Amino acid sequence: MDKVDWKNIGIKELAILVSGQLKKSGIDAVLVGGACVSIYSNNKYESMDLDYISPASLKDIRKALGEIGFQKGAGRHFTREDCPLYVEFPPGPVALGREFPVERFNTIKTLKLLTPTDCVKDRLAAFFHWNDYQSLEQALMVAKKQPVNLNEIKRWSIKERMEGKYAEFSSALKKNKMFK
Amino acid sequence: MLESLFGNQVVEKILFYLLVYENGYIRGIAGAFNLPVTGVVQQLDRLENGGIIVSQKKGKIRLYTLNPRYPFIDELKALLARAKNALPEAELEKYYRMRTRPRRKGKPTRG
Repeated sequence: MDKVDWKNIGIKELAILVSGQLKKSGIDAVLVGGACVSIYSNNKYESMDLDYISPASLKDIRKALGEIGFQKGAGRHFTREDCPLYVEFPPGPVALGREFPVERFNTIKTLKLLTPTDCVKDRLAAFFHWNDYQSLEQALMVAKKQPVNLNEIKRWSIKERMEGKYAEFSSALKKNKMFK
Repeated sequence: MLESLFGNQVVEKILFYLLVYENGYIRGIAGAFNLPVTGVVQQLDRLENGGIIVSQKKGKIRLYTLNPRYPFIDELKALLARAKNALPEAELEKYYRMRTRPRRKGKPTRG
């Protein structure tokens, strides 16, 4: 671990490192939330935390992350003194609004994370329920940079009873022709 | 009613409160049930850590609501609603029918 530049480590690099460490300890974990947006938007959105959903106990996670210098803080957070990014383990399951369990994920080396389509849904869920326009922006960033299944996102939005807000997302997306 | 399931009566009261009034702040919830603030804070923290409720700062107040993104929110609300409706009428009247409609600033109050 001596070669890691903890102070300047990027979110993707840290996610791969943390996931690898968890995997080494037999812990399954999926990256969700803003960190996925950072990865899929090539850091257009900069998240400071990595949210993992894992069925493992915090005790086991604590032991695994302790080996790479991350200490458990208050609640479900893990921090490392010289690293500006922190890791959190919100309670599961991996859910996209009312839809769960989520069973298909993307992988990057050791990292298991939401697919771009599910990442958009995850951000839209925050927009739908909290009227959070920052989350809408993040959903748009991912949809513009990555191939996403818009029909699937629409189907899901209708199931979430949020057709009106999906229309807002769709119209914002259409204004920019960069998406696939 | 559901205290055995939730672990204690404070959690039950908090969840009924948030179901009925949609949001609440620490002193408001504690005051409504005449509960010690520390006990309410402890249980709110527990529920927030579990993702069942969420909070947001509004001015100087931290406002709590049921988490609309909690995966079992529909089932939880249905359970709470059924259990709440089975409460004795006197309890419903005392705790869950407080005035929620607006009151114009400066309007005189009775009593």
